[in-house]
Amino acid sequence: MRFIFVDEILELVPGQRIKAIKVISPEEEYFRDHFPGFPVVPGVLLTEMMAQTAGKCLDAEDPRRGKAMLAQIKSASFREWVPPGKRATIQAEIRSSRPQFATADCSVEVDQHKVCSAELFFTFVAADRFAPGYRDEVLDSYLTMQK
Amino acid sequence: MPTLMTEKEVLKWIAELFEESANNVFLDTPREAIPAWDSLGVLTLMAALDERFDLVLSDAEMRAMKKAGDIVEVLRKNGKLN
Repeated sequence: MRFIFVDEILELVPGQRIKAIKVISPEEEYFRDHFPGFPVVPGVLLTEMMAQTAGKCLDAEDPRRGKAMLAQIKSASFREWVPPGKRATIQAEIRSSRPQFATADCSVEVDQHKVCSAELFFTFVAADRFAPGYRDEVLDSYLTMQK
Repeated sequence: MPTLMTEKEVLKWIAELFEESANNVFLDTPREAIPAWDSLGVLTLMAALDERFDLVLSDAEMRAMKKAGDIVEVLRKNGKLN
């Protein structure tokens, strides 16, 4: 299982805001257990979608600061169940962005309905802590398209 | 502009930030007595001071804070206390 919860970035203003999508395949393995007869995307994965999306917005702002990593879920609300086969639109607004930390207000919409929102807190991990040559393929793809 | 807090209100704010009972946080309460005031807690405090008081502190200033009263003093020094 890959742990990439963003398919494509639609809009990005580095360090300020981002909009991305994730199409939720009915084939996702977790639907077998969450839950039989009532498959819905787990809240932790919706949170991960928001964290990955906001993280890309921060990573695009200043890669020298290191990679943005989710450090704290300040708050999170889950309003509606998200069944398989839906297209999730994920948005994040960066509220503060400092050399040591950042905060973001994030949300996920499905069928024009806000299904969840969260306030997330990020810290940064130096790039040399990751495998040599590690790149964010989704962010790279978006940035390449913009050139 | 954020409303100025009294010393007592700041101590309550610190307690809430670090998920402590207000009865456990006093001016002389050391950082070690507040489990959530760890390395992540330092960043959380830094962010909270920025958001609540519009106060951006350096790493050195953050490291210098050893007890709850030090946070109160930083706020007083920066004119953020009522």
